[in-house]
Amino acid sequence: MEKMGKMGKMKRSIIVCVAVILAFGLAGAAFSAEAIKIGHTVSLTGGASMWGQSEANALDMLVKKINAEGGILDRPVVIVRYDNRNDAIESVNVARRLAGDKIIAVIGPAQSGNAIATAPVLERAEIPMIVTTATNPYVTRDQKTEKVRPYAFRPCFIDPFQGTVAARFAVDRLNAKKAAILYDVGSDYGQWLSKYFEDAFVARGGEVVAKEAFRSEELDYRAQLGKIKELAPDVFFIPTSQKEAALAARQARDLGITAVLLGTDNWGSPDLIDLGGDAVDGAYFVNLADLDDPDIQSFVSEYRETFGAEPVLPNPIMAQDALIMIVEAAKAAQSIEGPKLAEALANLKDIEVTSGILTMDPAEHNPLNKPAVIQKVDVAKKTFVFVEKYQGE
Amino acid sequence: MFLQTLVTGLSIGGIYSLMAVGYSLIFSILSFSNFAHGAVIMLGAYIGLALATQLHWGLGLVVSGSVVGAGLLSVFNERVAYSVLRRRRAPSLFLMISAMGCSVFLENMVYATIGSRFYAFPEFFKREVVGVWGSSLSLLDVFAFTVSIGAIFALHLFITQTKTGIAIRAGVSDMTMCSLMGVNTDRLISVVFFLAGAFAGVAGVFLGIKYFVYPTMGWVTNKAYIAAVIGGLGSLPGALIGGLILGVLETLVSTYLSSVLRDVFSFTMLIALLIWLPNGLMGRDTEEKV
Repeated sequence: MEKMGKMGKMKRSIIVCVAVILAFGLAGAAFSAEAIKIGHTVSLTGGASMWGQSEANALDMLVKKINAEGGILDRPVVIVRYDNRNDAIESVNVARRLAGDKIIAVIGPAQSGNAIATAPVLERAEIPMIVTTATNPYVTRDQKTEKVRPYAFRPCFIDPFQGTVAARFAVDRLNAKKAAILYDVGSDYGQWLSKYFEDAFVARGGEVVAKEAFRSEELDYRAQLGKIKELAPDVFFIPTSQKEAALAARQARDLGITAVLLGTDNWGSPDLIDLGGDAVDGAYFVNLADLDDPDIQSFVSEYRETFGAEPVLPNPIMAQDALIMIVEAAKAAQSIEGPKLAEALANLKDIEVTSGILTMDPAEHNPLNKPAVIQKVDVAKKTFVFVEKYQGE
Repeated sequence: MFLQTLVTGLSIGGIYSLMAVGYSLIFSILSFSNFAHGAVIMLGAYIGLALATQLHWGLGLVVSGSVVGAGLLSVFNERVAYSVLRRRRAPSLFLMISAMGCSVFLENMVYATIGSRFYAFPEFFKREVVGVWGSSLSLLDVFAFTVSIGAIFALHLFITQTKTGIAIRAGVSDMTMCSLMGVNTDRLISVVFFLAGAFAGVAGVFLGIKYFVYPTMGWVTNKAYIAAVIGGLGSLPGALIGGLILGVLETLVSTYLSSVLRDVFSFTMLIALLIWLPNGLMGRDTEEKV
């Protein structure tokens, strides 16, 4: 997941919303030992705040539970949370700050661009980081050396898989021959996904007739869409966040583009429907989790009861997975030292997490066999309908 | 294809013009660039959104409400942040810096109180496409373009035909003299800020309908500011023409060259134009321009 920050907007001042969540409340009396701190770098403001807030809620909920069950190595867990404002520069500042806070591991950031910026800082400090929904391959692999980053892990699938799933669905289910792509040139997420989709689509005999880009924060794509309309594609792949997708969909329909719209996990926000209206009806997108997935029902009902709202998937699930990974790794290593914790994280096997069962690939630091779901947007019912599940390779 | 590009460009340019007018109005009288204009546009959009979603008003009333609301906010902004500086005869650079501060303050106020999520206006127009000689255009675009041009024309009439308008023009040419002749300059400046705010209200509602409402939506005014500079800061016809030129040029570049190169071209044009015509296409000669 990626919504690139707005660099160079330094004059926009900095609200660093520092929320140190003290989860002692419940368990305070039971522990005498000093609390173990876990960092959380998350977008509490900015375009990705919907997921960020939900992610923070889900973690707070889980921390209470973990502390009630004895915490980590009989010590209570505390989350130290900073707002990275979905901005790469701010993410680096947050990472430096966390490194000084004596935390044992970091959860987040959720966006690939921010995660790639954060990884080297935490690597130097020997602090393991578990991103939540950053799906770009280079979050856990160093782009220069092509070696796996020893301190970076994730519980979600990666973009080559996501791009392939989208292309497979377009060819097999939608019978698409011609595809057009519109992506954000300022986002690692969009750039790579359009490449993975194109490769997979072409490999399956399709043709990419148009590949148009726009710059982050741009709002009008009609110039690009005018070109796409002339080429009459069958599917229109838009690997962006829900806001851009809704804008592109509305403008495309206004121009009379009738292609089936196809998106990625960043679309999976309830406000896609509010923003896109009729224009996004019937569109498909790849997602990490589905609200109707039987595996996560106990989480969903607990979240609803606690916060009186639906969780904004997939971030809350992935954040809980990340926290459980840290707890399990500390248990396995019987230590909270960075290097030992990282080694244990790399070798996690068959642990029970919120999204199901998780096994780490020690060579890539990605989970093995992570499934992807295809969802269809149903505007009348204001919901995403489960269409199909693709198992990981 | 060419016609479609032109039509799209004009409809984008129309919105740029509408926003550029606010910059030009204030620059013409106080010789500083009011960078809080984008934030006023954003607040205008939120006012319109509240009227549309909470009170279920129709488009006409929503626009009028937003015009009045944003106009008053703009006046309030001037009273609180700029008038003291003005009385102390601070250089216009200081006013500009204060304006940047206001912009950041207002944006973050909205973040802190309303939150950062995106809102869409209810659909005032059916998703209906109008065919113009083989190119398609949405009903909203036609409406927005007509209203924008109409509003700019009405402002032009106001400034050239009414007594207050004449006072504004007198203030533009010499503020000190104007005040010596018995014009209440504070009131005059409030009128100008109200007008700029009113345009921000219209622009905010249209921007919100087209591109959603969120705290940083005012950033698009960067483009409008450039449009105002191209047309000549301080000139109303200049703001109109600058906006349309920028909109059409951008769309042409994205269509025929590359969408990624769009800003490279438009900004190169800006720099080249300023070298050639430092006051923009229709600007008056000024030595100080910030």
